[in-house]
Amino acid sequence: MAAFFADPVYMILLTGALVAAAGSLVGTFLVLQRNSMLSDAISHSIVFGIVVVWLLTKAQSGPLQIAGAAMTGVLTVFLTEIVARTRRVKRDAAIGLVFPVLFATGVLLLNLYARDIHIDTHTVLLGEIGFVWLDTMTLWGWEIPQAVIWMSLVTLVNLLFVLAFYKELKIATFDRQLAAALGLAPTLLFYLLLGLTSITAVAAFDAVGAVLFIAFVIVPPATAYLLTDRLSLMLLFAVVLGVAATLCGYPLAVAMDVSVGGTMAAMTGVFFLLAFLLSPRYGLLGHWRNRRLKVSG
Amino acid sequence: MLALLGDYTVQNVLLGATLLGVVSGLLGSFAVLRQQSLMGDALSHAALPGVCIGFLITGTRHLGWIMAGALTTSVIAALFVQLVVRYSRIKTDAGLGIALSVSFALGVMLLTWIQGMPNASQGGLDTFLFGQAAATRRQDLWFMGGVTLLAVLLVMGLWKQLKLVTFDPLFAGSIGLPVVRLESILTAMIALAVVVGLQMVGVVLMTAMVIAPAAAARQWVSRLEHMILLSMFMGVISGVVGVLFSATVPHLATGPVVVLAASALVAVSLLLAPGRGMLWSWFALWRERRAIGQRQMLTTLYKLAQHHNDPHYPVERSMLDSFYGVATDPILRRLHERGFIAPASHMRVEGRHWALTDAGYSEAEKVLEQLGMATEESA
Amino acid sequence: MSCTQRHEPNLALHIEDLTVAYEGRPVLWDIDVNIPPGVMAAIIGPNGAGKSTLIKTVLGLVRPTAGHICVYGYTPRQAVRRIAYVPQRSSVDWDFPTTVLDVVMMGLYGQLGWLRWPGRKERQRAMEALESVGMEALAQRQINQLSGGQQQRVFLARAMVQDADVLFLDEPMAGVDATTEKAVVALLQELRDAGKTIIVVHHDLQTVRDYFDWLVILNVRVIAQGRVRDIYSGANLRRAYGGRIALLDPESGEEEPDAVPREVGG
Repeated sequence: MAAFFADPVYMILLTGALVAAAGSLVGTFLVLQRNSMLSDAISHSIVFGIVVVWLLTKAQSGPLQIAGAAMTGVLTVFLTEIVARTRRVKRDAAIGLVFPVLFATGVLLLNLYARDIHIDTHTVLLGEIGFVWLDTMTLWGWEIPQAVIWMSLVTLVNLLFVLAFYKELKIATFDRQLAAALGLAPTLLFYLLLGLTSITAVAAFDAVGAVLFIAFVIVPPATAYLLTDRLSLMLLFAVVLGVAATLCGYPLAVAMDVSVGGTMAAMTGVFFLLAFLLSPRYGLLGHWRNRRLKVSG
Repeated sequence: MLALLGDYTVQNVLLGATLLGVVSGLLGSFAVLRQQSLMGDALSHAALPGVCIGFLITGTRHLGWIMAGALTTSVIAALFVQLVVRYSRIKTDAGLGIALSVSFALGVMLLTWIQGMPNASQGGLDTFLFGQAAATRRQDLWFMGGVTLLAVLLVMGLWKQLKLVTFDPLFAGSIGLPVVRLESILTAMIALAVVVGLQMVGVVLMTAMVIAPAAAARQWVSRLEHMILLSMFMGVISGVVGVLFSATVPHLATGPVVVLAASALVAVSLLLAPGRGMLWSWFALWRERRAIGQRQMLTTLYKLAQHHNDPHYPVERSMLDSFYGVATDPILRRLHERGFIAPASHMRVEGRHWALTDAGYSEAEKVLEQLGMATEESA
Repeated sequence: MSCTQRHEPNLALHIEDLTVAYEGRPVLWDIDVNIPPGVMAAIIGPNGAGKSTLIKTVLGLVRPTAGHICVYGYTPRQAVRRIAYVPQRSSVDWDFPTTVLDVVMMGLYGQLGWLRWPGRKERQRAMEALESVGMEALAQRQINQLSGGQQQRVFLARAMVQDADVLFLDEPMAGVDATTEKAVVALLQELRDAGKTIIVVHHDLQTVRDYFDWLVILNVRVIAQGRVRDIYSGANLRRAYGGRIALLDPESGEEEPDAVPREVGG
């Protein structure tokens, strides 16, 4: 077991798989709610939270960092809703107005106060999944990479959340008004979901950075959406596809000697493209076949 | 400051910032109005693989080729989003997210691949992530200027078609305009803005330059022509302010400062713009509430006066407080200022009393008459 | 799909064997429609009957799976200058930064050609159209300050300025006040009396007989079409609306063909 945790390859694969699984669990609902781009806003603006928490406490990882930085993610969504509610700008513009402010401020703070630490602007965007195994913590006598510990916890929390509130999430996603009428507090659920997305983004930050994280949240659920009509299957497919993409991405990255995180994220895109072209019911192939059937029938 | 303006490098940077402001203000206006703000986000991230491909073609940091590469991958990403949304059940938001993250991932792969190559000139490639305005050269400006000119000519030449397609695509289709093609042109033009911004603010923050100047300008004016001009002006202002500020403070990347300047303009516009500013709305709401409170008070006093057959019947404040359930003092004081009520002594032992003046009495009659007419009309 | 020779040139609208499908589901199935010139026709049918799709297909905004369409014997594309369209009000963003006069001038963009900008002549024609809908005083008003009825009048003015022979209107009475509805109907009837053909997607069964002289009852297929007085019957409406229709005669309470129909539920 100790050898397992000491092996960089296993740790990189495990971290990638956990990021993909945790991301897909929340991403499925974001995609179905047509709020995919909120994951983009969140993952950019947590940079601000991470820098501020680091400046205040010097904590680079751990629960304080995760909770503190995740609050910025929720703040982004909250501010976006406020700006949109003024009805002076449309909601999509509101998203695109709020998160760049937090992101730009975060980058400037990095420029000014943190030029020599490990979170330089390059890592902010790209992450360094190749180095996650270096930063370890002793747990039950084993040296376990911190990223693995926190990602496991976050994945577990996301899974419990989805299992516990499955039917509430389902109704709130399908028909928010109905959920409100049934007293299921869809707004609270919405913020919980985005809070978990933020926590996941922070925990995954060191591994994949701010932008690649979006690929693990949106692309596997969108791929699954092309393959099934059932929510439970969509969740399952999304997790499986996300994990598969990370597992395929790693050897490819090693073979080509390029960024591991980037290749893993790009693999989710490859899977999506395959589903888009070949999915029997919702792909281009299916579309083309339907059209032919219509004309001849 | 003046010495700064005379500096050759600073002149280049200011010219670059001006071009960026013009092109992003112009094309961003259409993107924001077509509710395609986040298309700018996706397309700017999608420029990264193009930057790398442009570099791979020449092996140097030649801005012309890098812009061409970025333009190509951005446009491909835009087409991808349209294709996916049109031919599958994927909605626009997910389509944008997929295009953004996957193309950025490809860009990261290419970037790390180039960094592994034994080539001395690849060093500055990741400056395109956040821009490096200070490194703008005169020859770079020609490319940026060329793209800006192309965008301006396109918009002027197709002005009424683009306007109509933005406002009412169904009607545009009914008079025979090629709506899909025009919409594709508008979307592809966002990519033009993105490539002009590569050098100045970088791929990651171009989102804000597409959205912010247009969103700010919209608050002040109510015609598309004016909105575009003001949006260009605001883009230029934020570009210039951002460049000058980051040039004077060491270690500040240009991109984030430009974006914060543009965002500050949005905040000011949302709060203060005449007509649409939130401050004015809140003020109007507050005044409305206050006026209603005063009118209610007048009618209450009027009815009490009628009940007691005394037009100047004095009423104690504490009684009004308990009647309304809130402190009525501010309302009473303002009515007093307006000359509608006057303090009256009733019984010395008790608290302050107020009575309607003649002006207040007729004002109350007027209010009731208006209300009465209103109820008659709705009946 | 094309009319190679002028096909049925004496009909304002002639549709043959038209099928439109969306994501594999038929919205219109093998329909034939004929509308003579100079009538004011209503297209009615339950939600999802394909009323808006029918209009959009005629205008070339939706591609049909099969069938062909002729307007005065020409394809809609050939006849594009003879057609005017009033989309549903809700299809545009009324917060768009533009003025009332500007929206009306958009009706002339088709005639202007590609590169010419609208000038004084266009402005004057737009003003005339605004006068005819009683909106000339609001010409310079920003469009987000208009009421629902005023928005509808602006759209109508934009269609009138096109000076077309056939006008297609998609639910023009939806969400407007009674005064506007009367004004709009009066205006449309005036246009019809001047020889234009008016084709309206309509949702209010109670006013069909007062406003229109031609009727197409639609529910994916054409249930009935012809003069209102010939085909407006309980039997036809029930065939289109199924059990969702209750025909109440104010006097007898009995179901009768001539009774005032009401759509129940929805």
